[in-house]
Amino acid sequence: VAAQMANTKVPEVRDITRIERIGAHSHIRGLGLDDALEARQVSQGMVGQLAPRRAAGVILEMIKDGHIAGRAVLIAGQPGTGKTAIAMGVAQSLGPDTPFTALAGSEIFSLEMSKTEALSQSFRKAMGVRIKEETEIIEGEVVEIQIDRPATGTGTKVGKLTLKTTEMETIYDLGNKMIESLSKEKVQAGDVITIDKATGKISKLGRSFTRARDYDAMGAQTQFVQCPEGELQKRKEVVHTVSLHEIDVINSRTQGFLALFSGDTGEIKPEVREQINAKVCEWREEGKAEIIPGVLFIDEVHMLDMECFSFLNRALESDLAPVLIMATNRGITRIRGTNYQSPHGIPIDLLDRLLIIVTSPYTEKETRQILKIRCQEEDVELSEEAHTVLTRIGMETSLRYAIQLISTAGLVCRKRKGTEVQVEDIKRVYSLFLDEARSSQYMKEYQDSFLFNETQSTSMDTSQ
Amino acid sequence: MAAVPVRVLDYLTEVEAAAEDILTTKQQIVDLDSKRNRNREALNALKHDMNHTDKVKVCFGSIFIKLPKSRTGEMIERDQEQLGKEINDLHKELKVKVNHLNELQGKPELRGYNLSPLSSDELKAVNSLLRR
Repeated sequence: VAAQMANTKVPEVRDITRIERIGAHSHIRGLGLDDALEARQVSQGMVGQLAPRRAAGVILEMIKDGHIAGRAVLIAGQPGTGKTAIAMGVAQSLGPDTPFTALAGSEIFSLEMSKTEALSQSFRKAMGVRIKEETEIIEGEVVEIQIDRPATGTGTKVGKLTLKTTEMETIYDLGNKMIESLSKEKVQAGDVITIDKATGKISKLGRSFTRARDYDAMGAQTQFVQCPEGELQKRKEVVHTVSLHEIDVINSRTQGFLALFSGDTGEIKPEVREQINAKVCEWREEGKAEIIPGVLFIDEVHMLDMECFSFLNRALESDLAPVLIMATNRGITRIRGTNYQSPHGIPIDLLDRLLIIVTSPYTEKETRQILKIRCQEEDVELSEEAHTVLTRIGMETSLRYAIQLISTAGLVCRKRKGTEVQVEDIKRVYSLFLDEARSSQYMKEYQDSFLFNETQSTSMDTSQ
Repeated sequence: MAAVPVRVLDYLTEVEAAAEDILTTKQQIVDLDSKRNRNREALNALKHDMNHTDKVKVCFGSIFIKLPKSRTGEMIERDQEQLGKEINDLHKELKVKVNHLNELQGKPELRGYNLSPLSSDELKAVNSLLRR
């Protein structure tokens, strides 16, 4: 029977090969600045764009010191000049403690939520609150546990618990409640336990190493730990960072069970947010909380419409506002939702509040360098000539197209069982996949043979 | 040229001294806690004393003195309070000392450790967030 048990209980171990997807900016590790905030030519996956990177570095330092909140930065530049890369670099160098929320301008257009609600939620996701939890615990290894049951079977039980650390040993008298929870947790001699002093909650950390040889037969889950060091009665302090949005969510969920079942949070009432703001400010006054303004990054910001922009104007004035970084690749264009033209598709009054960083197209040398970094990232070996050809393609078409060719050329090369991508492979994928310019050229030439083009749509009646 | 090794030595001495200081404070806390636990045991023993006499024998150093039960109890209780306060003070000192050591070693300051803790009610409210 025992053997059978062992057979059924063995957990199935499966090897899962990790499939790593390589994102467009996975090679970015930071902004690549030195201590004096000077940008290094090539560092942390960043190439060129020295001035914008330095500007981002200055802003980064201000964010780290918590000096700026409620400010906004706009990164503007042509497509493929590293706007998103700079934002990613800022995110990477902020460290895990500062909240960073990224969203694309089009993400806020959802049917379940109003645009301003989606924006509010992202604003509050980017604000962190640091709070501290302090608990007094008794932590030790159980030496002996002795429970006296009354002869009648009912009535109060009394008991003694001997705990030790490497430094000391002591006996605790146990009341009825403690005995109950000890037996519920199945605590026995040799276990290492903690007792929360305020609540009396007992948790088992594992079995002491010194008792490891007591029995041969052990459950698979038995964990062995060292006998605790130092004092028995310890103070444990844990610092947590939570976002304002998370606090909003738990507080809006407490009303009614419907909120619990809706799964996603849905809209949060403004009253709830006001309450949370008041509470957090109170905590800050009492020294119980620190507020960490994080970063909200909105890519493709020209996708926002007039209402969103006026909301942003207002939201940036709140005292619980994060640093807003926006990126756009548009020049003078129509503001969405209006007929007015404006630089970057952003209203002038909002533009006036922004610090604007401009990125410029990469030089040939920089393009070469970026392609090299991407090759390493995508694990593709490139021969010297192929590298030169690819750089030329990158200069003449676009950097993004050249980067796309790396992995496709890598595949072609592997297909012919080569180890290094040669010029032939590049040529082959160049003929297989069109870049934007050649594609438009093709369109112009063969326009007439496509479906639904201008000439046909006039002759065809599609209303029926 | 000779200034550099002297400076390095001075720096290392300073770091070692700061670290030693932390270890001493930690040991002090351990000693006080063990005393506190012994006192607690004594109080329990007093409470559950089976033979109903008025006086108990108390050990001071190397001599036993017979003292009234109630007075002994009071004495120990006062001692406990004193111990609790001392341990608390040592904990506070320890925090300052650890920060000082970190500063000397060029490590970043521990974040959020000068915050005052949330009360138990407030903790209960945010608990579901913290136990993710």
